[in-house]
Amino acid sequence: MQENTMEKPTFTFQPTPEDISTQTGAVMVELVKVTKIYPPDVVALRNVSFTARRGEIIFLTGASGAGKSTLLKLLCRQERPTKGLIEINGTDINKLKSAATQRLRQNIGVAYQDFRLLPRQSVYQNIAMAMEVQFKSVKEIRQRVTELLDKLSLIEKRNKPAGKLSRGEQQRVVIARAVANAPPLLLADEPTGNLDSNTTLLVMGLFHELNESGSAIIIATHDKSIYEGSNHRQFELHQGEITQIT
Amino acid sequence: MLQSWGVQLMTMLTVTLSVLIFSFFFLIYTNMIHVGDKIGGELRLIVYLESELGPQQQDDLKKKITSFRKVERIVFISPEEAFAQLGKQLGTDRDVLEDLDASFLPYSVEIYPHKNLKDLTHIKEFSDYLENLPDTIKVQYGHGWVERFGYFTKLLRFVVIISGFLLILTTMFMVSSTLRLTLYARQKELKVLRYLGATNGYIEGPVLLEGFTLGVLGATSGLFALFFLFQWIKSHFSGPGLMNLFEINFLPWPYCAIILFCSVLFCTFGSLLSIRKFLKI
Repeated sequence: MQENTMEKPTFTFQPTPEDISTQTGAVMVELVKVTKIYPPDVVALRNVSFTARRGEIIFLTGASGAGKSTLLKLLCRQERPTKGLIEINGTDINKLKSAATQRLRQNIGVAYQDFRLLPRQSVYQNIAMAMEVQFKSVKEIRQRVTELLDKLSLIEKRNKPAGKLSRGEQQRVVIARAVANAPPLLLADEPTGNLDSNTTLLVMGLFHELNESGSAIIIATHDKSIYEGSNHRQFELHQGEITQIT
Repeated sequence: MLQSWGVQLMTMLTVTLSVLIFSFFFLIYTNMIHVGDKIGGELRLIVYLESELGPQQQDDLKKKITSFRKVERIVFISPEEAFAQLGKQLGTDRDVLEDLDASFLPYSVEIYPHKNLKDLTHIKEFSDYLENLPDTIKVQYGHGWVERFGYFTKLLRFVVIISGFLLILTTMFMVSSTLRLTLYARQKELKVLRYLGATNGYIEGPVLLEGFTLGVLGATSGLFALFFLFQWIKSHFSGPGLMNLFEINFLPWPYCAIILFCSVLFCTFGSLLSIRKFLKI
């Protein structure tokens, strides 16, 4: 195993005093009556409100089409809400200009359900890309990517094009890319959907490690094995509404 | 960008060709200016006067001439001076003038225009003005070819401007379109980069560099091609004839530098145009 190079995650997109931004328990994500309607009239989310704090893990559950992915897309500003307020670290993200949106995205790690890998690029390049866009040093990138490849049992595949991997392997690459910068906020959409139980444990171990360093993690999942029995909050979505909080 | 080598090469060749076409006409134009200067040096307008002018009248006439156009110099010639000049021009045949008196020649004024192309191309206009001055009998200048030379220079200037536009359009829009095609091919990658929080600079950088490189390589090749073409023309058309009459020169290096700089600038700007659409969040 490589030495852990993960630093304590802090938000940088909005200048905030250091003691507030890293304080465990501080509000990181706040949604107030968020509604998302896709044209012409498909209601994906309706009046969704919740708060996620620093150092918290939240599971979003619900059937397919319940609005879990839409919620995550709204949080990383891939989509805009039709109504309602979304604040991250105290800032309304829908009012952010281009440069601030870029900084916001640099502070959010996203593990997409549809992977969004570059099939011709190697596993290493796909993971390193997340750090390159933040102009991290080559040494730092090499160290961190190797560490993640090792943790997710992908070290032997490091030079293989991502498109040639199995779905389970691609899923691990996506997760490695999402956590590469040790983001203060991690959004994972069905992160274990293609993984066996052993690999699921590896991935969840990585998430917990990130969470212990202060990151907030929001996981949209069907996989009961990862949230049943846990003491983290679970929001169940049904037809775009939060129906149950446990 | 490596996936589209063929397209990049074609774009570079188009830039090369545009630079070559423009700089070729520009080369001819600059040499025409040079020739114009040479012709202008030997050109004078002769105004034949009705009678001799006194010092005051001479000053008045000078003022009237220079008020229309600044000239290099004005020389008043008496019939005696003209007679002597004619004798000199006739050389060994001067004996034909033996029985003649200088008084058959009129008083005249020789006007030497400035040695620049503008004055040269407007010589007809100037001549018409002189023709209408009081005391003028007749105005003689060069030959009809001076006018034709003027028209040709005008036409050439037009061609230079058109080829200049062609250069701008090619460099900017060809580069922009080619890079846009490449970017469309990489759209998925760009989208992923955007989601990862890549800054505009991170995405623009390589594209601008590509436009810059295309500009440098294209314009340099174009100028080199022009140089070889110039050498070839010079070596194949030298000998007795027109080429020996006037010395032709290659473009001075500051002009080459300006052509290179502008091409690179347009190509880089073209690449910037191509990326704009992809920078939207």
